[in-house]
Amino acid sequence: MAKVEIKSLVKSFGTVSVIKGINIDIPDGSFTVLVGPSGCGKSTLLRQIAGLDMPTSGSIMIGDRDVTFEEPSDRGISMVFQSYALFPHMTVRQNVEFGMKLAKVPAEERAKRVANAAAVLHLEPLLDRKPAALSGGQRQRVAIGRSIVRNPQVFLFDEPLSNLDAALRTQMRVELAALHKKLKATMIYVTHDQVEAMTLADQIVVLNAGHVEQIGSPSELYERPQTEFVATFIGSPKMNLLKGRAAEAGKAATIGVRPEQISIGPDGMWEAKLAFVEYLGNENIIYLDSEFGQVIARAAAAVDTPFGSTVRFGYSPQNVHRFGADGQRVA
Amino acid sequence: MKTSHFLAGLGKTAFLSVASIFVLVPMAVTVLGGFKSNGDLRENPFGLPQVWDFSFFSDILSQPSFWAYLGNSLVISLGSVVMTIIVAGAAAYVFAQIRFFGSRMLQSYLLLGLVFPFATAILPLFIKVRDLGLLDTYWAVILPQTAFGTALAILLFKTFFEQLPREMFEAAYVEGCGYIRFFWQFTLPLSTPIIATVGTFVFVNSWNNFLLPLIVLNDRDLYTWPLGIMQFRGEYVTEWNRTLAFITLTIVPAVVFFLAAQKYIVAGLTGGAVKG
Repeated sequence: MAKVEIKSLVKSFGTVSVIKGINIDIPDGSFTVLVGPSGCGKSTLLRQIAGLDMPTSGSIMIGDRDVTFEEPSDRGISMVFQSYALFPHMTVRQNVEFGMKLAKVPAEERAKRVANAAAVLHLEPLLDRKPAALSGGQRQRVAIGRSIVRNPQVFLFDEPLSNLDAALRTQMRVELAALHKKLKATMIYVTHDQVEAMTLADQIVVLNAGHVEQIGSPSELYERPQTEFVATFIGSPKMNLLKGRAAEAGKAATIGVRPEQISIGPDGMWEAKLAFVEYLGNENIIYLDSEFGQVIARAAAAVDTPFGSTVRFGYSPQNVHRFGADGQRVA
Repeated sequence: MKTSHFLAGLGKTAFLSVASIFVLVPMAVTVLGGFKSNGDLRENPFGLPQVWDFSFFSDILSQPSFWAYLGNSLVISLGSVVMTIIVAGAAAYVFAQIRFFGSRMLQSYLLLGLVFPFATAILPLFIKVRDLGLLDTYWAVILPQTAFGTALAILLFKTFFEQLPREMFEAAYVEGCGYIRFFWQFTLPLSTPIIATVGTFVFVNSWNNFLLPLIVLNDRDLYTWPLGIMQFRGEYVTEWNRTLAFITLTIVPAVVFFLAAQKYIVAGLTGGAVKG
């Protein structure tokens, strides 16, 4: 197991720089999730760590070794791809032991490691099947099995769950978390799904347009977002950003209030029109049209006023996040 | 609605029937001609033979030289197929996998081979083969055929290889698999449809090639079957019935090869068009 350090990493394709000088420390044994909107450079960053692309400048350390210019197979990493990238003409067993064969691991050792991985991932009955005869979830498990058997220092996951349906995704998420507990390996995981990020990560790195917006634990990011971008990116429905009179009252250029902190009632500070309500069973997502634009509230109780009627909403001042004109958190 | 369907079907069938007549009639004339006497052949080229004479076929089959011709043709054709698949496959793999300076130009240069007919190059080809000391060897036919087959083969291979998912290479690369091993262990085994297509084209071309073997092979022991036909052409008389019987026997292997690979050939030709 090893820590990973990324130092002033820059990656440009021609004149377009996709990663603009990133520094990240990934502690040994942590589950770090790289999250951000599409095009933010998160997959590119992962490919640099894997060694599939070379950085334009900067360095990557795994353990205490500088691996910036090493071949992927020498870095002590393994990677799980979004499309699984299984080898269609090989059986599950051959897929899983392919890398070990190349590394000239003796046959008995190979068989032992395949058996271990198969036991961890419940692959035993599938070992002699070809990938075409597997379901999506099974394929993903084979891809993970292929990476486990090499005993890598660092696991890399590139949006591994995005091809699965919602139910399977939830199940695999739980399995991945259990796997991390069992292996205690360093894992770096790329996703654009912030639910995956929040539930899996010890540490989340939020990337935006090629730079790091914030690094922190899920609760830090949720409770103390350092920038407006992080504030709106983490959390669903996203945080309300209010300007104008509300911001002046909060003594900031912009204030942010999470939907669950917005209360609707006659003693609210501001007036708004009830636009729409989404009923989710355990809660209601309430859309309001106010002088600050759309405001989203989340409430357990149903709202019984008709759409289009005027309601009042408010929030308590200690739940307000304040941001300056530059989008950075103040105080 | 139904009548228009019927009419469209009828039109299609009629067109295909006419088209197949153009293929089948010469075939039938060839096969039937082998059973006729020379006089019968002249009077009645398209009909059934008046007397079914099997002697030409049995004569040819009992001649050791016929089997030698077939053997030579087979060695040369299979040699051309193997060489073309390896050379063109490797080249197409590089073009499909690796971006390098001049790759586009090199590809276009190789594709020029498509518009270059064999016959125009026959003299320089002969001189080159002679200078290499390859006259009267199998290589004298195999190497030029490979060279002329590469253009089309690269085009077909490259289109196919580009459809193999890139992530699969990356997954293998992360596991420590290099380009060359990937070519042998992944690209080729996963490309059977296109290999069958290219293989059949090259095989049939080589099997039917007359001009090149004529120029570079003088040793009767190395003759391919199209050269073997010449033995039936005397100074004053050509034995057409023997020639036709001979042709019938020699196209059998090519037809068998095609039928065996047919399923893959269609998949290989249309593969690029339908895969989403």
